[in-house]
Amino acid sequence: MKKNYVIIFIFLFTFLSCEKDDICVETTTPNLIIKFYDNDDSTAIKQITGLTVWADSKDSIYVDKSLDSISIPLNLNENFTKYIVESNNIKDTIKFTYNRNDIFVSRSCGYKTIFENFQIESNTSNWIKNISIINSTIDNEKAAHIYIFH
Amino acid sequence: MRKQHIFIYFISILFTISVNSQEKIDTVKTKESYGIRIGLDISKPITSFLDNNTNGYEFVGDIRVFKNYYAAVELGFSNKTTIEDYLNFTTKGSYFKAGFNYNAYKNWKGMNNEIYIGLRYGLSFFNQTLNSYTPHVKGTYFIPNTLEPNTEFKDLTAQWIEIVFGMKVETFKNLYLGVSVSFNNMLNTKEPENFKNLYVPGFNRVFLNNAGVGFNYTLSYLIPIFKKEEK
Repeated sequence: MKKNYVIIFIFLFTFLSCEKDDICVETTTPNLIIKFYDNDDSTAIKQITGLTVWADSKDSIYVDKSLDSISIPLNLNENFTKYIVESNNIKDTIKFTYNRNDIFVSRSCGYKTIFENFQIESNTSNWIKNISIINSTIDNEKAAHIYIFH
Repeated sequence: MRKQHIFIYFISILFTISVNSQEKIDTVKTKESYGIRIGLDISKPITSFLDNNTNGYEFVGDIRVFKNYYAAVELGFSNKTTIEDYLNFTTKGSYFKAGFNYNAYKNWKGMNNEIYIGLRYGLSFFNQTLNSYTPHVKGTYFIPNTLEPNTEFKDLTAQWIEIVFGMKVETFKNLYLGVSVSFNNMLNTKEPENFKNLYVPGFNRVFLNNAGVGFNYTLSYLIPIFKKEEK
């Protein structure tokens, strides 16, 4: 009988020690994913050369890169973010607007922010030909949220 | 010569066994107290004093129903602020636990100690207040501000079961010191909207797999009602 208690004790302790909720492992606040397409052929992905990206009055996230898609964070303290996207020293400015919604994730991650009613309030068109919003709710990073044609 | 030694050895073993088995069973009868035992958890006021974020008390009581079985209850109140990396919340509420203990300890005559295993049903009514949180983001490009919504989630409930292991020692006549640990498993909870019951009064921290652990250190007094003769 006493041996059984010992076994139950050991079992329960191992059972409880398996907890892993102190480290945040869930996906949280998503980034905005932009994919670049050819303006002449809207199904063809077209790489951008000499790409430099930064948010208004912030440091660059990408510097002089050649890419066909980028992942950029949105400002969680405002309902807008202004980005400057430069390709071969030609600058274009895009202003995104959105509503923020905080969703509970877990003890260790706390809350994540998702962006709803995502819109482009304004943009310049120096090298950008067209922008289309694919998904106006940004709640994951599985697919591109906007396409930029150039 | 050697065989003879072995033979004597076996004979002697048989002899001692047979002697032991002939020992008379002790038939001295003693009286054991039955009654209501009430007390309080003295670890909770101590932790309340040491930790500003924790405040609580717990009363305990049990009645000896049969020789080794005790019906047991615990009643308590808890007000605790939990601080996590991205969250800060306060849980406030009361709880009630009821069940039984089985004493597995064979006492010597005249002693009333217990080493027990028990089962409890737990019920809690509480409120959660989300004091503040910081949205979780990867990287440090935009650093989010900490928000203080102070949202109060009212009228939450939780029900659970506990397996209790503990012991009680009679230190002075009718005065008992007890210590126990419990392993809790949540049955159901009324969860707040867009938040979670991460702490429940009486259950304590709610782990990912709905498990929890409890601990108490009690001082209790037995009010004897009648005495029963035990063999």
